[in-house]
Amino acid sequence: MKHQLFDTSIHIATGGRPFANDGQALVLLHGSGQNHLTWVLQSRYFAYRGFPVLAPDFPGHGLSGGTPLDSIEAMAAWLIALLDSLEVKTACLVGHSQGCLVAIDAAARYPSRITRLGLIAGALAIPVNDQLLTMSDKALAKAISVMTSWGHGPMAHMHDNTQPGHSFLGYGNRLMASNNEMALRNDLMACNQYSAGQDAATKITQPVICILAGADRMTPLKHGIAMANSLVNSQKIILAGAGHMLPAERPAEVNHALRGFLAT
Amino acid sequence: MSGDYKFDTLSLHAGHVPDERHGSRAVPIHQTTSYVFQNTEHAAALYNQELGGHLYTRISNPTVAVLEQRIAALEGGVAATATASGMAALATAVLVLCSQDDHIVSSSRMYGANINLLENTLPRFGITTSFVDPSDLAGIEKAIKPNTKMIFGEVIGNPGLDIMDVEAVAKIADKAGIPLMLDCTFNTPWLLKPFTLGANIIIHSLTKWIGGHGVAIGGAVVDGGNFDWGQNDKFPTIAGPHYAMDGINFYEEFGPAAFTAKFRAEGMYNFGPSLSPTNAFHILQGMETLPLRMQRHMDNTAKMLAFLSGHDQVAWVRHPSLADHPGHELAKRMMPRGAGSIIVFGLKGGRDAGRTFIESVELASHLANVGDAKTLVIHPASTTHSHISAEAMIEGGLSDDMIRLSVGLEDFDDIKADFEMAFRAAAKQQKARG
Repeated sequence: MKHQLFDTSIHIATGGRPFANDGQALVLLHGSGQNHLTWVLQSRYFAYRGFPVLAPDFPGHGLSGGTPLDSIEAMAAWLIALLDSLEVKTACLVGHSQGCLVAIDAAARYPSRITRLGLIAGALAIPVNDQLLTMSDKALAKAISVMTSWGHGPMAHMHDNTQPGHSFLGYGNRLMASNNEMALRNDLMACNQYSAGQDAATKITQPVICILAGADRMTPLKHGIAMANSLVNSQKIILAGAGHMLPAERPAEVNHALRGFLAT
Repeated sequence: MSGDYKFDTLSLHAGHVPDERHGSRAVPIHQTTSYVFQNTEHAAALYNQELGGHLYTRISNPTVAVLEQRIAALEGGVAATATASGMAALATAVLVLCSQDDHIVSSSRMYGANINLLENTLPRFGITTSFVDPSDLAGIEKAIKPNTKMIFGEVIGNPGLDIMDVEAVAKIADKAGIPLMLDCTFNTPWLLKPFTLGANIIIHSLTKWIGGHGVAIGGAVVDGGNFDWGQNDKFPTIAGPHYAMDGINFYEEFGPAAFTAKFRAEGMYNFGPSLSPTNAFHILQGMETLPLRMQRHMDNTAKMLAFLSGHDQVAWVRHPSLADHPGHELAKRMMPRGAGSIIVFGLKGGRDAGRTFIESVELASHLANVGDAKTLVIHPASTTHSHISAEAMIEGGLSDDMIRLSVGLEDFDDIKADFEMAFRAAAKQQKARG
């Protein structure tokens, strides 16, 4: 659906079902240089099981207009403003990668609004090396190619896909290329500069599930485990052999884990 | 894994990882029509495209999916869908994109069945085509109308071997907000990956070089994922509500794979042009050696061109690798490894000499196929292009004496000896006629 926020047209995927607002939502937050299409195999799945799904494209991403935001704190504030404008009182946030940072920051700063967290392939800090930062500014296509490659695990590199006929790498490249050309650069800078994750984690008492990838080259597993251990009310699931793009690579297991968590 | 796998590796492996239960190294043939659902919810989820998976082999199949994922990987596309033949791929792709009163701009120099479909069959369903010489860039642009939904052509035309400037035509299509769809059967991804030049959809007859063995018919539609279906209002059944799945908007739901999602949900579901799992398996065996075969095809083609060009019984030879071909420089730039293994030529003595030649070869096979591992010959005017009009023949640059040669992988000395023998037979007959 389209929604106006701060005079900008925002695209929000609702999983093919009208958003039935009863004051609560399951909000799916995409990662750096991604958009709502990260959640192709989650948004429809949960929407058709009765969850009020919102998978927004952050400004400058996917089908949303506007300029990409430049800090995790700004993204968290924007998210709360979006919930306000949609009259969503409380939300379960599910973040992927950078989306985990946004979810953690929002949950710590707006505890009354966020009921629980799903953190997929995340960490409390996501430093980005200078080479990739420079590449995202000066050689965007190369940066997209490198991130798509690093972001996928061994089976994805072999193009072994649960969606018949689909190529993880081909799709991943095109998805990232469809964003505003500043999107990846701003996202990576925002991740690199965000240092409040550890402090935010200490303030989070809501239930959390961490779903981590055993072959994650973007946010290595040890950082995901450290994240889970820093959250007092958390559980963790590790999917061996999976790469960073867990929602696409292992959708059945991710959906099963999330659904079980949401049912508790 | 330190980087993305290269072409030769993908030809062998892409799309398949041995399953944990059986560990089968070769791709198993899933010869089944259907798949047992875990429960009713799982069944509904598959029908609704909430999850990947297989529900009925008319829509998808695990063996066929390996083939699809392999061709998508080799082309650098976002997805591919395999079909029962190359013509099934083309016809279904057109019907997924076009509706009544829509229009296509197409190359006039193509395979006879491609032309027949566009010129004679689709108009009965309200879809019309303007044919333009593929080298006439201004003509292509001028032929585009408000209701034009695609530009279509062959990278290497069959059998005239005209070369399309993919990058230039892609720019015209992009400017008009319509996709460029190409039949890439003759080039294969080993010679050219057209998505890198801006093409949007690729059609393959997998029967030819990709299979390479002449034992299985198959086709594929590869989605480049590089066309913005929502940029205008030309594609309302992709970027607007579709009757399937609660009025799904494929563009919003599946982004770069929107065309493939619609192809699967409508094209495979309603038209049913499915590839059999066994044929997919056969084609996969061929794909494993595609790079090796293509190199040999190119080597033998170069030798054959030298042989034919220097033969005193050959009236003319046409191939993009020859300097006098109008698309020579373009072919060199687009396809530095070679411009395919089809050669067309005519003999002194015209059609009669050609007929004697075709009937005299013993090693080469006289049949209606190309891209086989074996050398093949045919007379297009009386076979593959016999159903198109005399005007279209002329427009397509086809002469009555043309012989189409598909250069195979045999020891070149043996092909050469076979041709020498057949040339002698043709000469003897010409002499007897005085």
